[in-house]
Amino acid sequence: MIDISSIPNIPPALIYFAGAALIPLFGKGRVRKIYLIILAALGLIGVAVLKSPAPGGWEFSVSGFELIFLYVDRLSLIMGYIFAIIGAAAIVYSLGVVKENGEFVCGLVYLGSALGAVFAGDLFTLYIFWEIMAFSSLGLIWYSRTERATNAGMRYILFHLFGGCALLAGIIINYMSTGAISMVPGESGIGHFFVESGIGYFLLLIGIGVNTAFIPLHTWLPDAYPKATIAGAVFMCVFTTKTGVYALARTFPGAELSLFGNGIPFVAYIGGVMCLYGVIFALLQNDVRKLLSYHIISQVGYMVAGVGIGTYIGINGGIAHVFNHILYKALLFMCMGSVIYATGRNNLTELGGLAKKMPVTMITCVIAALSISGVVGFNGYVSKGMVIHAAELSHMHILTLALMLGSVGTFLSFLKLTYFTFFRRNDEIEAREAPLFMLIPMSVTAFLCVAFGVYPKMLYEILPYREVALQYHAFAVGHTLSTLELLAMTAFMFFSLRILIMPHDRITYDIDYLYRKAGRGFIWFCEHPLARFAVGVERVVLRIADYFVMFGKNPLRGTRVMIDTVGVALLKPVIFVFNLVIQPVYKYYERDLEAVKMRPVEEMGKMSIGTGLLLILLFFALYLIAMLLHGWLA
Amino acid sequence: MNRKVLRGLLIIIASVVLVVSAMFVFVIHSEHSELFTGVLYGTIGVLFFVVMAKILSLIQKEGKQDD
Repeated sequence: MIDISSIPNIPPALIYFAGAALIPLFGKGRVRKIYLIILAALGLIGVAVLKSPAPGGWEFSVSGFELIFLYVDRLSLIMGYIFAIIGAAAIVYSLGVVKENGEFVCGLVYLGSALGAVFAGDLFTLYIFWEIMAFSSLGLIWYSRTERATNAGMRYILFHLFGGCALLAGIIINYMSTGAISMVPGESGIGHFFVESGIGYFLLLIGIGVNTAFIPLHTWLPDAYPKATIAGAVFMCVFTTKTGVYALARTFPGAELSLFGNGIPFVAYIGGVMCLYGVIFALLQNDVRKLLSYHIISQVGYMVAGVGIGTYIGINGGIAHVFNHILYKALLFMCMGSVIYATGRNNLTELGGLAKKMPVTMITCVIAALSISGVVGFNGYVSKGMVIHAAELSHMHILTLALMLGSVGTFLSFLKLTYFTFFRRNDEIEAREAPLFMLIPMSVTAFLCVAFGVYPKMLYEILPYREVALQYHAFAVGHTLSTLELLAMTAFMFFSLRILIMPHDRITYDIDYLYRKAGRGFIWFCEHPLARFAVGVERVVLRIADYFVMFGKNPLRGTRVMIDTVGVALLKPVIFVFNLVIQPVYKYYERDLEAVKMRPVEEMGKMSIGTGLLLILLFFALYLIAMLLHGWLA
Repeated sequence: MNRKVLRGLLIIIASVVLVVSAMFVFVIHSEHSELFTGVLYGTIGVLFFVVMAKILSLIQKEGKQDD
């Protein structure tokens, strides 16, 4: 028997980074597939054997800062488990579609850096992995090799660089005022990092908010994810936003803003806005992956709300929803990836009739849709209920209503997605079931969605506040009944009114319309007024340089030109005021300036080097005498 | 949309509004109000999203979904 406790803690990031570095050695055939399956298993084992609290050994002192590369507690562990599980599923899924080594490298580095971020014990280490995540995920967009993907990738990285700068600035300012960079909370909980109100506080929040897709910092998400590669989108839907929620849980759980003497839990309300905003825009989408992308914003809204409420049950609910959401969202992206792979189509208006042609994909997609909609018996029901229950207990009625409405909208749009993808009649479409490498991770993930929905105690055991979680009754009669009523009513209304929310080809403007307008305005400003100003500055600089050249050739002439130019420039504005006195002087300068300029430049007679040196020494001696005299006199 | 579909929709919406109103009155005045909150939230929710979709359709642009 292997004694697990004897295995030392190794940062899981290292396993994936090393695995990514070695990929080119395995070619592009069957050996690479075997290698990647082994790597996925190793990653899973690497996270499973982590011990909490982590023994020392991964702490480094850099310029006086204690950087902790591996900090393990219940929060980082649950994040690590789900990242490793879905990372393994995404790797196996990729085997069916990915051809290039570079895409695998990007995916593995992205996965590794996400794990690095959740096991980071201080904010600087978190920031390092945060930036690696941004650049490695960019590769997953650019590997689509289309012009749309290239442009979306540029916008994506610009957004994340802005977020990264805000995060770093927030970390530095907060460090300068509080001296805190460590994220190790101690025995009492998970999020006791000290953040002082002020500019550092808001920069930190903006930095985290970009990754968490706070409204209006969310536009990179529905812009970039639908343009990523099929496998790339599966990786991307998991890590970036959830790492943001993790950082939020560490730094801002239950954060309040003082307004009219009352503490408003504004982070929770940001979550409520995200929840509704994402659903409304998802309902209007035609591109299946864009619809799913807007739903990420909506579902992350539940997590942000849970963390923002800040009570033990709220944080438990938020983190449980991270866990469950990763399972069903990755599954949905896998299913839609299979549909795009099999049909080459990604719009609801072009799909339909796939239920019989792709039965496994259809069944797994329906399971994922039921899970995200919070149907009883599927995992989304448990965690969504926990967050709503936390809002009710905190007497946040508006938030509760927003989260309930979000639930209705989610079910509505997933009825739309599954109906128009699989069940609507479409005799033209031709498709075959996805390859086995895609179906295996889809089936396993679907099984986990059901397993955690039917037996939620498995999830409660690993939540940050286990004791509180175990007291929550997911299947209480009142809650179960009202959820079933809500969903049944939504289904009835969908089939009655579906003509009003039929998919269409029209584009719906989001806030990024304003960003793009502002961007174009900025480019116009650079190309016109700013460029003209630059030309003006260049002209002035050249004139000054010309003057110095002229001065160098003939200092006497140069001095005269300078005196005349200054005289003209100073007297011209006041010539009309004191006409009689100033005009003759002004005229003199003007005439003299013209006369000097008309004369050809006469170079002055040159002295030998020895004479020049003698003069320099003479001046130097005079300088020394003056200094000595000054010293004596003082 | 042709007249037949419009008439059907109108009938459905009118019936839903009637049922919801009745339910709302029941929920306010009954001791067992929590039994029907799901129906109420479901109906209000769907109508809310349909209305929002219609409002947002005002800022939609013709053409294929693209950048």
